Amino acid sequence: LLLVGSLVSLVVLVLALGAHALTPSHHLTPSDLVRLQDVLSQPYTDLKAAYLSIVGQSKLGLSVAGSNEACDFIKSNLDPSSVESLFYAAEASQTIASCCMMNTNFKQTPNKKNKQLPLNEDSTMSQIHQAVSALSFLGLPLASQEVVSALKARISKEDNVLAITLALQTASHLSQQAELGEILEEIEDLAARLDDLGGVYLQFEEGLEVTALFVSAAYALSDHVGVEPPLKEDQVIQLLNSVFSKKSWDSLSEAFSVASAAAALADNRFHKPVIVSAVGPATVSHSQPLLQLQVMDVLCQSLSSANVLVETATSAATKATILSQTPFTQRDGIFQLNFMASQPASGYYQFSVAISGDSRLVGNHIELKVKVSTKVSINNMDLSVVDKDQSIGTKTTRVEYPNKAKSSFIADSHQNFAMSFQLVDESTGVELTPHQTFVRLHNQKTGQEVVFVAEPDSKNLYKFELDTAERKAEFDSISGTYALYLMVGDATLENPVLWNMADIVLKFPDEEAPSAIQSKNLYVPKPEIQHLFREPERRPPTVLSNTFTAMVLSPFLLLLLLWFKLGANVSNFSLSPSSVLFHVGHAAMLGLMYVYWTQLNMFQTLKYLAIIGSLTFLAGNRMLAQKAVKRYCASLYVQLALQ
Amino acid sequence: MSNSVISVISRFLEEYTTSTPNKLKVVDAYLLYILLTGAFQFLYCLLVGTFPFNSFLSGFISCVGSFILAVCLRIQINPQNKGEFLTVSPERAFADFLFAHTVLHLVVVNFIG
Repeated sequence: LLLVGSLVSLVVLVLALGAHALTPSHHLTPSDLVRLQDVLSQPYTDLKAAYLSIVGQSKLGLSVAGSNEACDFIKSNLDPSSVESLFYAAEASQTIASCCMMNTNFKQTPNKKNKQLPLNEDSTMSQIHQAVSALSFLGLPLASQEVVSALKARISKEDNVLAITLALQTASHLSQQAELGEILEEIEDLAARLDDLGGVYLQFEEGLEVTALFVSAAYALSDHVGVEPPLKEDQVIQLLNSVFSKKSWDSLSEAFSVASAAAALADNRFHKPVIVSAVGPATVSHSQPLLQLQVMDVLCQSLSSANVLVETATSAATKATILSQTPFTQRDGIFQLNFMASQPASGYYQFSVAISGDSRLVGNHIELKVKVSTKVSINNMDLSVVDKDQSIGTKTTRVEYPNKAKSSFIADSHQNFAMSFQLVDESTGVELTPHQTFVRLHNQKTGQEVVFVAEPDSKNLYKFELDTAERKAEFDSISGTYALYLMVGDATLENPVLWNMADIVLKFPDEEAPSAIQSKNLYVPKPEIQHLFREPERRPPTVLSNTFTAMVLSPFLLLLLLWFKLGANVSNFSLSPSSVLFHVGHAAMLGLMYVYWTQLNMFQTLKYLAIIGSLTFLAGNRMLAQKAVKRYCASLYVQLALQ
Repeated sequence: MSNSVISVISRFLEEYTTSTPNKLKVVDAYLLYILLTGAFQFLYCLLVGTFPFNSFLSGFISCVGSFILAVCLRIQINPQNKGEFLTVSPERAFADFLFAHTVLHLVVVNFIG
């Protein structure tokens, strides 16, 4: 139960309260950037991979290693008849300073290039994008207005997010005289399609890569045209969170898109998200009085021209304002503030920090939780054995930390053991009430330990009393020598305390044979539960059932008897085909009922019943009609006879 | 008192045997059979218990339904009631009886489980 006083520091950046805007909850740390660079600098085998690698690294501000080899690779893998290949080669070679594509095959055919521009109705958005970008990077002329109308036509056909993003990217290469207004409006339409996840993330359902490409394309076009993108501050931060939420990238193209987005967010004309993080844990103490902050852009480059100001610093416990409008000083790219100079009491403080210095800054109001920790010292530790009836005077022993009392204390059932002490801040002498002040008694022979809580009174003086008779249950009435420890711990303490103060010999009445205490093992298999299947219902004995079955069927015999006695007209059985068919059909229906009971389900039965039933009906109809005719004729005959 | 009851009953039986046509007596015998079957089923249920309840219900309702349909048939084919059933000939009554029985048996067999 020993607690480490200086625990892991708390969350540095928390979501702001109240009127403050969102701050980034995910960003690329320097190690993430290194990982991104590693992914992008993997060896490549084809032109597309070369393009992603070279251009991606340049977006991160890194120079490509082996630029000559890269340039040769591009030139050798170039396929001049493919627009896609030209696009990759053109942009990649453009980023390598010494690589020039113009002195290869296509200088001969610039006109052919223009005519080869596939601006017909069937070319996809990505084809348009690649053609226009290739021409732009090669420095060849473009018919911007034609491209604009082609893009507009294509957007109406290809309405998906990736296509419109490519359109934005394409438009950023066109002349500023062209009418790019409608294309610019697409940024707002696309932004409306973003999914807001929990107020923290904003991304397209197509995924991270498309979102990142959108960010870089939107800012590329906005910078090119000089119009601020219609994204609110919170939306920019949410986009940032989405793009940088993934720290390991599945594919080269995903890494490339993240690098593009990072470059766009780090350096565009309108929005510059700022990342603030504390150097190490946000903790100050007498030994480390400076609160140090790093203020960076998205690519972890320090913003040395920024002004960092503490707007307010309030104590979390007392809500008193300690600091107001205090600036940080800058040293070697790190902003620092000597918080201990204000002599704060130990505890937690809520800092509200504002970064200024650039009108483009986004997410520049930060809420920070700072911990002030201190060292505790234990004063006036007095241990005594008090007689219950107060007849014998108390014997008080003072023990100094970290020493142990020389003699052990003896307490039997007529006596109480008492302890009192004070906990103070080592440097200021202010009384402290840490979260954990425990008194632990440990029986070395049996391994048993009992822990009590020491509580402070109104004057912050800690007292603890052990009534031997009252507490014997906790000790299982095992007498013997117990080692007495004091445990003090708190999140704001730098020096947690475990102090063996003395030995106590406790004597309990009614002692039982001391049994070695076994630690309770919770992880043994529990007794097996036998599953009880549902008991079938109790059935009556078979004899009884059979008797009653016979009884129920017996009236049928009675019926046959009665019918026979009445002279039922069996002889009048006409053997006409319809009659026979009727009786056969009727019998079949009854047979079907039996089969239904044993085997079939309702649907099958209805099917067969329909077939048999319709036959029976037709036959029966005829039979009954014949009977009716016979009866009518008979009655007519009778009437005639009676006349 | 009992004397008059006995005499009423004997008179009734005498009238019955003489004046009811044979056809109706055949149907009456059938009615008696259905009645007894239903009564025996109910007796079993009272004595032994209602398990399985669905079987008891379907059997009993089969008896009750058959009884009702037979009574309908008897009413319709009784020549004394001819005035009330001008559109329904005895053959038609019998056909209705058979059709209704088919439906009844379908339901009963479904429920009998």
